[in-house]
Amino acid sequence: MNTEQRTILLSGDDPNKRDYQSVVEKHGSPCLVYRPSVLEKQFKSLQSALPNVDLYYAVKAHPNSNIVKTIDALGGGFDVASAGEMDLLLKHRISGRRTIHTHPIKKDSEIRDALRFGATTFVVDNVYELKKLTAYRSRVGVLLRVSFRSESAVVDLSRKFGCEPNEVQQLVSEAESLGIHVKGLSFHVGSQCANAHKHAQAIRDCAALMHSINATAKTPMSSLDIGGGFPADYLLQGLDIDAFCAPIRQELNKLPADWHLLAEPGRYLIAPAVDSITTITGKSKRGGLFWYYLDDGVYGSYSGQIYDHTIYPLQVFKTGLTHACILAGPTCDSIDVIAENIQLPELEIGDLVIGLQMGAYTAATKTRFNSLPDAKFVVLDEHAE
Amino acid sequence: MKHFKETLYDAVCQEYRIDKLYFEHKTDHQHLMIFHNAMLGRVMTLDGIVQTTEADEFIYHEMLAHVPMIAHTEAKHVLIIGGGDGGMLREICKHPIDSVTQVEIDQAVVDMSIEYLPNHSAGAYDDPRLELVIDDGINFLKNTDKKFDVIISDSTDPIGPGEVLFSDSFYAHAKRCLNLNGILVTQNGVPFFQKDEVQTTYQRMGENFSDMTFYCAPVPTYYGGFMTFAWGTDNPLARSTDVSVIESRWNHLDIPTRYYNPAIHQSSFALPQYIVNALNDAEG
Repeated sequence: MNTEQRTILLSGDDPNKRDYQSVVEKHGSPCLVYRPSVLEKQFKSLQSALPNVDLYYAVKAHPNSNIVKTIDALGGGFDVASAGEMDLLLKHRISGRRTIHTHPIKKDSEIRDALRFGATTFVVDNVYELKKLTAYRSRVGVLLRVSFRSESAVVDLSRKFGCEPNEVQQLVSEAESLGIHVKGLSFHVGSQCANAHKHAQAIRDCAALMHSINATAKTPMSSLDIGGGFPADYLLQGLDIDAFCAPIRQELNKLPADWHLLAEPGRYLIAPAVDSITTITGKSKRGGLFWYYLDDGVYGSYSGQIYDHTIYPLQVFKTGLTHACILAGPTCDSIDVIAENIQLPELEIGDLVIGLQMGAYTAATKTRFNSLPDAKFVVLDEHAE
Repeated sequence: MKHFKETLYDAVCQEYRIDKLYFEHKTDHQHLMIFHNAMLGRVMTLDGIVQTTEADEFIYHEMLAHVPMIAHTEAKHVLIIGGGDGGMLREICKHPIDSVTQVEIDQAVVDMSIEYLPNHSAGAYDDPRLELVIDDGINFLKNTDKKFDVIISDSTDPIGPGEVLFSDSFYAHAKRCLNLNGILVTQNGVPFFQKDEVQTTYQRMGENFSDMTFYCAPVPTYYGGFMTFAWGTDNPLARSTDVSVIESRWNHLDIPTRYYNPAIHQSSFALPQYIVNALNDAEG
């Protein structure tokens, strides 16, 4: 199964151990532990790496009130794709003016819900979708999503959505004849990109398209949404986001100063701000291997291992001689295995297993299989310490 | 939120400072606020759009109420659809009518307006001639056998709860509920920014009335220049009354106003050419 590279931390008396233990004593297990200060740090790092870009947190990465609150306090925007996500923002009195609606395919009722919420920027990648906006043309601004395929991305987001670059001119003309204003382009090179060369290339291609269309279009395009794809540090190797963004910055610096630049980071911002705590609830030795049964698995917080193709770093608070073992989740399904053939010191029932970098696309895709309870979301109040 | 930013259009936006938040109500997909602004007094917003402000509501309410009431020489039975803030009712109650029926979809809007926008209704909800019905406007029209001389649709934006009040079926049912020579008037947006709205109404409402046009007034917080009010009746004389006749009817009533007067009444049917062009285009 998971033969991919996984970072495992074997810590003795790690200072975090006590924090995790006290969370479990207070809230039970399993938990997701959220550190707002980490999100703040990520947000500020990305902002300084992309100084002229407005950041719209991709709410889908982890639609949670506490996370929304932190982004709100940082003055960030929000990338939304559904009425449910907008309702979450409404609860926090966040104006639709601070959001962009980025789902390329929408029902009419979803467009109306978005307008009532106050989102007026919509993303479109084909003429059928453009026509849906005709009735609301005086109110909306449209970003055309262009598809650039990325081989280095783990999840290829250009397969399902996005028009071909050579269709842009035609779509802009169609929009113009429908009376809809295309205010710019957007793209997604994919998620968890290894480097930003695809971003840089896409920015160059989009800029060329926009310049060429602006030469003749009645209303110029001036918005460029560079999407997401900013990586999380799943191997705990240290990630220099400023260096990662250097090729992006270089291209953005060539653009006219009056263009509006947007990005939709999700993973980079929230992944390191949330850890998963699970507890070993059972143990057996089968076929010479230790099996440890945990109280959270791939139908819960570890669902990203299935849907997001992500292998999370793990941490246990034991050192010494290691044995090959298997970490299995709590459901009855045999697919519910978090890690196979990993080397860990022998663990005992009641020991904690920590999943690191588990903020993005984890709880967001959990299921209710076996009617097991959700991992409890716990905000670590660092200021109180 | 220390500022309210209207979310009506993507490309332009008016922003109000919230000096004091009096009331906020969030349900399903609906967000209602009443706050104070130094320049506009109390402001009510729904789903990111300004609905009414104390400073300029008089223009809207006087024009949507008095123009049809004066044009119709003897309006005795009036129907208001929507208008939960009570401003329309306040103006209608100044006329010598026998009955006024108000159909509002949400009792909470009435209660909240009485409490937080008391100057809008100014006690009109206590008028004995009023029958307040809590119902969907179109549902009421479908089921009632009452007839009215004047019907006023004081609705929200067509996206949201007011949607059905801009439908073909609404105009047809309203027509059926009008007495001979009755008049239907509806709020119809700001055509400088919302050209589609005036064109759609022109087509839909035009099918039901032999005389269908718009009259207009500029309401500052419905920014974008003139707001249009749709006018539908089968009595073509209703809007071509001589100003001296309007004056004699009006002066007789002795109603103090700040926008409406007989000269404005008559001239409000003169439409700027960009609106005339939009209507001609709609006729195609």
